[in-house]
Amino acid sequence: MTKKEARQWTSRSIGSAFQHKIFYVLIRIGGWRLAYLVLYFVALYYVLFRPSVRKRCGYYLSHRFPGQVGLQRLKSCYQLSLELGKVLIDRAVVGILGVDRMSASFDDKKILYDLISEGKGIIFLMAHVGSWQVALSALHFLKTPVNMVIHREEGDVDRHYFEHRSLEWPYRIIDPEGFLGGTLEMTDALKKGEILCMMGDRLFGNLKNTLSIRFLGEDALFPFSAMKIASTSGAPVVVLLPFKTGPTGYGLRLARVIRVPEGLGRTGDHFLPYMEEYVRALEDFTMEYPFQFFNFYDMWKRF
Amino acid sequence: MNLNEELKKIIVKDLFLEDITWDQIEDDAPLFGEGLGLDSLDAVELVVIIQKHFNVEIKDMDEGRVAFQSINSLASFIKERRQS
Repeated sequence: MTKKEARQWTSRSIGSAFQHKIFYVLIRIGGWRLAYLVLYFVALYYVLFRPSVRKRCGYYLSHRFPGQVGLQRLKSCYQLSLELGKVLIDRAVVGILGVDRMSASFDDKKILYDLISEGKGIIFLMAHVGSWQVALSALHFLKTPVNMVIHREEGDVDRHYFEHRSLEWPYRIIDPEGFLGGTLEMTDALKKGEILCMMGDRLFGNLKNTLSIRFLGEDALFPFSAMKIASTSGAPVVVLLPFKTGPTGYGLRLARVIRVPEGLGRTGDHFLPYMEEYVRALEDFTMEYPFQFFNFYDMWKRF
Repeated sequence: MNLNEELKKIIVKDLFLEDITWDQIEDDAPLFGEGLGLDSLDAVELVVIIQKHFNVEIKDMDEGRVAFQSINSLASFIKERRQS
């Protein structure tokens, strides 16, 4: 099994760079309202005339809404595509018009203050839900450097919000495709007491570091690398899930704080109970916000 | 016991390697990928192990790239750091 075969998802954008630029112009002219208005038609076009979009939505929707068929499924596909489009527009709005155009609320500041004061860093285990970029802006109060584990491919034309105005990157990027999967940089960041953000719902590297866990009624593969790093470093794992609350608002949910004991060993089985906690939090999230889960690949595929 | 031997024993024991014994590890075989077959998550553990047993810190990717090539290179790295 090669890395490419194991990794089913892609970060490549559906639309072209030109199409993205049109939205950027719309945002400059009429703000989020005009961009949203056009989005309703663009999303409809993609859902009706691009079978690949329906297929990519279908992996998740068939598990979240197993009984849905025909028009019902088409409607869900449209809702899901629309929500993704809104999140991308929101990100661009923040980048083009300023961070103050979007509000992000977070109620559990004290918990994070306490965790950061332990001095072992924090692993934010997130997922492809809501907008993690807007959500992270709600965490500036921590005043702790943030390291984001992220991989971008050629063909990914979505801009991060700070790229719109050539702002300084608000976080350090660690590429999981780099030397030893970037793990040395991750460990180093935690040793300095910094924040490490990882996505727990997409595969990197080989299948050896994954666990099969029931998610929405069927076993899906999840990487356990965050739990392994937590076990080695002693850093707490905080499951953070951002969600859109309205046209200009986001919330950030601290769904779990997971403590992984040290010295658990080498194989994934030891990390299963901790990853299961994460997956349960993710499943709860999809129950509450069914159209804010943006993983458009077959997580349930059997290898 | 020389440093290479000590390293091999520690790696087998602390990384819970089950299908290899310390004396089967070659001094110049790659630690990661082909060779000993460690992966990126083992690297995280290895950084901690080296610090715990030898009080030598592997701080970043550049140091890791040098140290983690083989048992020989890891032993050289540790010796060098202990002297400095």
